[in-house]
Amino acid sequence: MSGAMIVIIIIALAATGWIFARARATRFQAEVGRLATNSRPSQYGWYVALWTALPALAFLMVWANVMPRLVFDSVLSSPAAQSLPADDFSRNVILGEANAIARGAQAAAFNPQSMTLVEPFRDATARYSAAGALLAAILAFAGGAFAFSRVGPSFTARNRVERVVMWTLLLASLIAIITTAGIVASLIFESMRFFSMVNPLDFLFGLKWSPQSAAMGYGNDDAFGAVPLFWGTIFIGAIIAMIVAIPLGLMSAIYLTQYARPEVRKWMKPMLEVLAGVPTVVYGYFAALTVAPALRNLAATIGIPGASSESALAAGLVMGVMIIPFVSSMADDSIAAVPQSMRDGSLAMGATTSETIRKVLIPAALPGVVGGVLLAVSRAIGETMIVVMAAGLAANLTLNPFASVTTVTTQMVQLLTGDQEFDSAKTLAAFALGLVLFIVTLLLNIVALRVVKKYREAYE
Amino acid sequence: MRRRIARRYAAERRFKLLGLFSVLLSAGFLVFLLVTMMANGVKGFTRAEIALTVDFPRSPILLDPAALKTNPAQVLANANLPSVVDQAAQTAFGEGGERFVSSGAVVAVRDAILADPAILDRKVVISVPASEGIDLAVKGKGSAADEAIADRLDEAGLISTALNYRFLLGSDGTDPTTVGIWGALKGSLLTMGITLLLSFPIGVFAALYLEEYAPRNRWTDLIEVSINNLAAVPSIIFGLLGLSIFLNTMHLPRSAPLVGGMTLALMTMPIIVIAGRNAIKAVPPSIRDAALGIGASPVQVVFHHVLPLALPGILTGTIIGMARALGETAPLLMIGMRAFVASPPGGFTDPATVLPVQIFLWSDEVGRGFIEKTSAAIIVLLVFLLTMNSIAIYLRNKFEKKW
Repeated sequence: MSGAMIVIIIIALAATGWIFARARATRFQAEVGRLATNSRPSQYGWYVALWTALPALAFLMVWANVMPRLVFDSVLSSPAAQSLPADDFSRNVILGEANAIARGAQAAAFNPQSMTLVEPFRDATARYSAAGALLAAILAFAGGAFAFSRVGPSFTARNRVERVVMWTLLLASLIAIITTAGIVASLIFESMRFFSMVNPLDFLFGLKWSPQSAAMGYGNDDAFGAVPLFWGTIFIGAIIAMIVAIPLGLMSAIYLTQYARPEVRKWMKPMLEVLAGVPTVVYGYFAALTVAPALRNLAATIGIPGASSESALAAGLVMGVMIIPFVSSMADDSIAAVPQSMRDGSLAMGATTSETIRKVLIPAALPGVVGGVLLAVSRAIGETMIVVMAAGLAANLTLNPFASVTTVTTQMVQLLTGDQEFDSAKTLAAFALGLVLFIVTLLLNIVALRVVKKYREAYE
Repeated sequence: MRRRIARRYAAERRFKLLGLFSVLLSAGFLVFLLVTMMANGVKGFTRAEIALTVDFPRSPILLDPAALKTNPAQVLANANLPSVVDQAAQTAFGEGGERFVSSGAVVAVRDAILADPAILDRKVVISVPASEGIDLAVKGKGSAADEAIADRLDEAGLISTALNYRFLLGSDGTDPTTVGIWGALKGSLLTMGITLLLSFPIGVFAALYLEEYAPRNRWTDLIEVSINNLAAVPSIIFGLLGLSIFLNTMHLPRSAPLVGGMTLALMTMPIIVIAGRNAIKAVPPSIRDAALGIGASPVQVVFHHVLPLALPGILTGTIIGMARALGETAPLLMIGMRAFVASPPGGFTDPATVLPVQIFLWSDEVGRGFIEKTSAAIIVLLVFLLTMNSIAIYLRNKFEKKW
């Protein structure tokens, strides 16, 4: 019997329990009167259904994890397993193969010996899954019967069902913490393995990046100096992209909030927001297909040496455009938060609108704008696809925007999409880069939110 | 004095124009992007077809007519159709003529036989897709040699353009004339299904807990901070998480929509929580008080009154989160969804790819025919996203309430 089948049966049992308990509750409620009972009939139903399903499903989850080991043990003790080679590695290969054939995941064996083990595997699997199904069914019946026996006029089903609901809600919100912990733990754990092979100081301050060997450990010709990547990331995300995004975003926000007629604003604002909703892979393709060749031709015409078809400028420009709506909506918010009296005061003194904006609104809104820019930078340096497709792979420490540079995210993709040998410094380096990226974006976000929040309080 | 005022007014006008210029430049960029993609991609939905004369009785076809009636697909798969096509093309267009037709021509011939087995006894004209070079030449983007061939075929009245239904129904391949997006689209749908199934209930429950029940203490602060943090974590980091937890620790299948969906669900969940909390906050307290006042329990208040009222807002946030997940590429590259998958996935654990990843893979292909296919796939993706966003805006407008 398959796992899905058992789950369906348990759910069907729970539904039956729900119906019977509800019917029973309706009956005694009719006898003793509505107000004499603690709960509504369907709540008795839910109580029984939960008792039927939850213990059985919990058991199945545990069983799914325990069963493979029981099956292996039982196969190992079978007579066919006596002739297995003694060394663990080849033994596990044969066992794994036999198991795969028994499950139907693999058609034929490479190893003749594993064919003899297929039958024991099938037997053991059938035996243990039948046992599991039986135990789960017994649990479901026992739980249901126990709960059903308690259903009575004075029983507080509602409180119990609601307690389960509350636990479910709490559990759902804990997923966020678990995810965060999972991210931190996996990044730190894999990075530790990397740093046991590569000196952290070499990684953080080394000037040469050329991971070569995908084999085990740390090859002699490998270099894991990440400074060129950090520089490339900053160059594209924090310098070029921001040179595009800050003026355009800020001026757009100013125009749309201060000058534009309402109907223009109504159309233009969503249009700018579409820029943020376009998938980054589309921007990346656009940068690689249209922007980068145009820039290379431009560089060649004006005679800049070292112009590459994959350039920091192409990636940075397109990324800057992608960031415009972030900057403009943050600037929009913080300009709108400046008290109207300040604006009125300035205008009443005879200042023009632009003078008011430049001398009063912008200085007053500056912390919010800076916070928005920091958030935008954090987003830009975490952005992957545009730089993967348009910025190139060469780890260059260069100031020439027409040259190819590489970034942290590009290298992460590069390191992890080739081979999948998880003991090599090459693949583990991606996690170390991920750790740096995580810490930097986290710090940027915390600082940005602090700045924005502090400033908001000042006017309220 | 007057000159100074004039100067100030000029500065005012310049400043205003600068603002207008910024808005127009940003919007212009968007328009340019869309127009470029449309111009490149719209022809990807059509294909050039060549009218190929196939003389079945004289072709090297190995067919058992009796077996053809019982199991036609199997028989045709073994029937050496490629050499039939090659020979027909050589007869029709001379030496090297087989290079004029795409590898998809075999499929067209097979479909023609399946539709009407009687054609096996005679000479028929079948419309088959042209090869990549001819296809591009017909669309005006080919090399000079191909242009000449296309012109020659055109003069003979053999070339036509038709809807490339294979692009909508096929999967990834190596020949740009035969590739399709259905495989990637199906992978996207399966992945989105898992994402929605996981992130929606978890997100809504977490939002309900935090907004309605959570006591103000260090634990709930921690939950809140981590949700806000997750919303700001770069997406590629979620890929690393999926790789090390789901693949390396839990040993779930690589490249599968299941793992992709789980990874994206972790990314989407914070967006739903944040949108959900705002929607729940907007439900006026008087509704809760009224329900509590007639004896409803806190759980009943929330599930019978608050949640139904907040649902449109939550749905809007969910659609926006799903739209972002649909366009996401980087985390899926990390968990191996960049594999070459030549048939649509059959289930949640089959190797699959998704639309944005397919776009990324095709963008790397050298064949010039892939440029229009990539752009065409981008058009499909953007149409999906714009539809989702319009639904979100529609919902927001429809259910926007002022209490």
